[in-house]
Amino acid sequence: MDLVVTYGLNFAYSTATLGLIVLGLAVVFGLLGVMNMAHGEFVMLGAYSALMVQQAGLPFVLAIPLAVIVCGALGWLMEWSVIRHLYRRPFDTFLATWGIAILMRKGVEVSFGREYQSVDQSLPGTVSLMGIDYPAYRLVLMAVIVTMFALLFVWYQRSNTGARIKAMVQNPDLAAAVGINTARLSRATFVTGVAIAGLAGVLLAPLVRVEPYMGLDYLLSSFFILVVGGLGTLEGLIIGSSIIGGADVVISAIFDKTAGYLGVLAISILFLWLRPDGIFSRR
Amino acid sequence: MAFSRAAKLTLAALLLAFPLLSDSFTAYQLGLYLLYGMVAQGIALCWGRAGFLPLGQALFFGIGAYLSGAALKADLGWALLIPAFAVACLVPALLAGLVGALVFNRQTGSGPYFSLITLALSMLGFQLANSLSGITGGFNGMTAIPGLPGIDTYETLYFVIVGVLVVSTLVLAHVMRAPFGQLLIAIRENEERLQFFGFRTSMLKAAAFGISGGIAGLAGALYAPHQGIVTPQAVGFVLSAELLIWTAVGGRFGLIGPVAGAVLIGFMAAGLRDSFRYWEVAVALVFILVVLKMPGGISGLFSAALSRFGGGSSTRHEAPTPQLLASKDQRAAPDLRFDTVGVSMGPVRILNGLSFSISRTGIHCIIGPNGAGKTSALNVLTGRLPLGAGEISWRGVSLGNTRPFIAARNGIGRKFQVPSIFPELSVRQNIEIALWANRIGTTEMFSMRPYGWTTQMLGELKIRFPFLMQSDKMAGSLSVGQRQMLDFSMTVLAEPDLVLLDEPCAGLSADETRQMIEAIAAIAGETKATFIIIEHDMQVVERLSDHVLVMHQGALLANGTMTEIRANADVARVYSGGSK
Repeated sequence: MDLVVTYGLNFAYSTATLGLIVLGLAVVFGLLGVMNMAHGEFVMLGAYSALMVQQAGLPFVLAIPLAVIVCGALGWLMEWSVIRHLYRRPFDTFLATWGIAILMRKGVEVSFGREYQSVDQSLPGTVSLMGIDYPAYRLVLMAVIVTMFALLFVWYQRSNTGARIKAMVQNPDLAAAVGINTARLSRATFVTGVAIAGLAGVLLAPLVRVEPYMGLDYLLSSFFILVVGGLGTLEGLIIGSSIIGGADVVISAIFDKTAGYLGVLAISILFLWLRPDGIFSRR
Repeated sequence: MAFSRAAKLTLAALLLAFPLLSDSFTAYQLGLYLLYGMVAQGIALCWGRAGFLPLGQALFFGIGAYLSGAALKADLGWALLIPAFAVACLVPALLAGLVGALVFNRQTGSGPYFSLITLALSMLGFQLANSLSGITGGFNGMTAIPGLPGIDTYETLYFVIVGVLVVSTLVLAHVMRAPFGQLLIAIRENEERLQFFGFRTSMLKAAAFGISGGIAGLAGALYAPHQGIVTPQAVGFVLSAELLIWTAVGGRFGLIGPVAGAVLIGFMAAGLRDSFRYWEVAVALVFILVVLKMPGGISGLFSAALSRFGGGSSTRHEAPTPQLLASKDQRAAPDLRFDTVGVSMGPVRILNGLSFSISRTGIHCIIGPNGAGKTSALNVLTGRLPLGAGEISWRGVSLGNTRPFIAARNGIGRKFQVPSIFPELSVRQNIEIALWANRIGTTEMFSMRPYGWTTQMLGELKIRFPFLMQSDKMAGSLSVGQRQMLDFSMTVLAEPDLVLLDEPCAGLSADETRQMIEAIAAIAGETKATFIIIEHDMQVVERLSDHVLVMHQGALLANGTMTEIRANADVARVYSGGSK
């Protein structure tokens, strides 16, 4: 029984964190069609924000505004200088963002060094839940993620801006013709997406190794989740996260980490063959 | 590739003389960069030529290196080393080909899926190389690899590397010049059109990726004796990313550019990495600039400068012996059947119980108001739309849920409403590809003979459409009318038995329309092929055809001669024919 609860909580935890990581890419790739190869690097910058706050001896919570400001500003610069010229040229966006990703990795490597670093947990200790002890930080994190998703979902469904974004996604020319400032809206959407990635980095920082190349794994798992779940829906994002996260947890537990990685790859290729548009496709 | 033959020979001679001009340590360094350059050449074949981007090329390089390292450590002697090197080249080639076949079979174009899969594979390779320490030596690497027997690593190995590089460059240059290379450009330009000519583009792309994997494996096989150690870094994503940068900066459209990029950045990095802290940041910035502003890289700048000074040579393959291909004169009777065909997209029923059959040669016209499902009927026949219900067969072969290249191989040719050509290829190259459709075999793709192919019909088309004789003009610079005519010519040059033309006169002037109608009538008369034409212009319909099918709301409304259609009350109710 305890084992079931532990595995259940681990599964929920991995789905929630993956959902948080993929959310930023889902916004940028799913809504704007920009395959942001630097997505993982924004997660990495978020984690380094947490590290900087810790090194300065400030409370952990301050890392959240710092990461949002750093990633938002960089995202704004990136959109203004590169992305906005390439919205209808997906292959060029792909290449340019890959270049930016390399730049960000090398930049952080020069500033902070290549070695692994760690961020201390601000909420150490465990909570007793249904007969087992579970790390408190993980439980809080899950609650934060679920709340965030719920708020975002309601906002996207109800708000005017959400409606404008939907209009822009479906027909940018018509949206512009009826008076929606699509250039500004795209920029705001892009900046929001990368800021969410940065936020994910902050929240995950205490749980992972912080290093300049950590973003690659997040980029790949995010992309595979979108392949499995499909673009443009929240349901797909959650289902995709649970399939990829679940497969990784189960296969890694039975064999090892490398086998888990191989399993995720195999599932992703299988989906390309059987459901090329993912489980929930917008079309 | 604006380098003349003399320039290339000079370059090779310079490479060979380099150890005499410099010291042997610099030559040893250069040897490493030349090996990286070989890998970059393979990336250029995939990226510059075929338009898909491999992000994990170091995987194949590293596999080759580990295999050759293991063989050298086993102290096999030359008799066994040669086959071992062949294995070090073939294993990566087959792996790359397999990955390519798996992915490209389900994804066309240059979408991110392939690139991310290759990146993930490279990261997987890195993990495996670290964890399988029994085989690879794990984190510390496979160490104490001896040099090639009888060859001094610091003196003579350099010449072996130059020799292998020259041979692999010649092989790749041939692959690029041969029809295979031209088909790769066509894939980059318009993959779907190539499929409608009966080419299985996924296999061509997989073959190109396989070749690039083999070249990378070969370079890796020499890397092991050159360095004496192979670590997991040799398969990892960091080297993969650097290989991509060297290819881009050197120039991805040729074969000299990638090597130049690897050598140039390699030497600069060796000199600057320690003294200039931001070196790698600067390289990443240069990469972004090249990608955005200078896609041809350094060699692109060179060739632009050369052509400005009147130098450079537009190297076109030597004129091959012309060979007149026999035209098909025996054709089986047509037999096309649509049986209660249904197609739905979401809640919309595009085709709703469409039934008709065609068993007579000649020209058949489909008319109907916008949204009647005319183009969709052709789409489902050629595998562009999934068949929801019913049956489609052509000469007894069921074509429900087929794929475009299979429809084309069954003798069905198609021209889209919007002219679909290969804009960055010349008029002649566009025509060559049409002539190769359903004719060229795998070995001929790597021979120069198909460039000499011609048919009687091509001669007639050139008289009819004189612009086809401007063979070096880029197809992308033709007018809309000329593009329609080129597309039509390409469709019929493939000599399909069933020709589907979707509004062939759309966008044409009155004069051009007349030319097009005459061409269609003449070719239909000569070839005895069956034509199905979608047309709105009643005058065109009347002049071309005596059999008209009327579609309305996804089903057949009427079917008969023009006179019968005009007299049909149903047709008059939903659709009043008129002229343009």
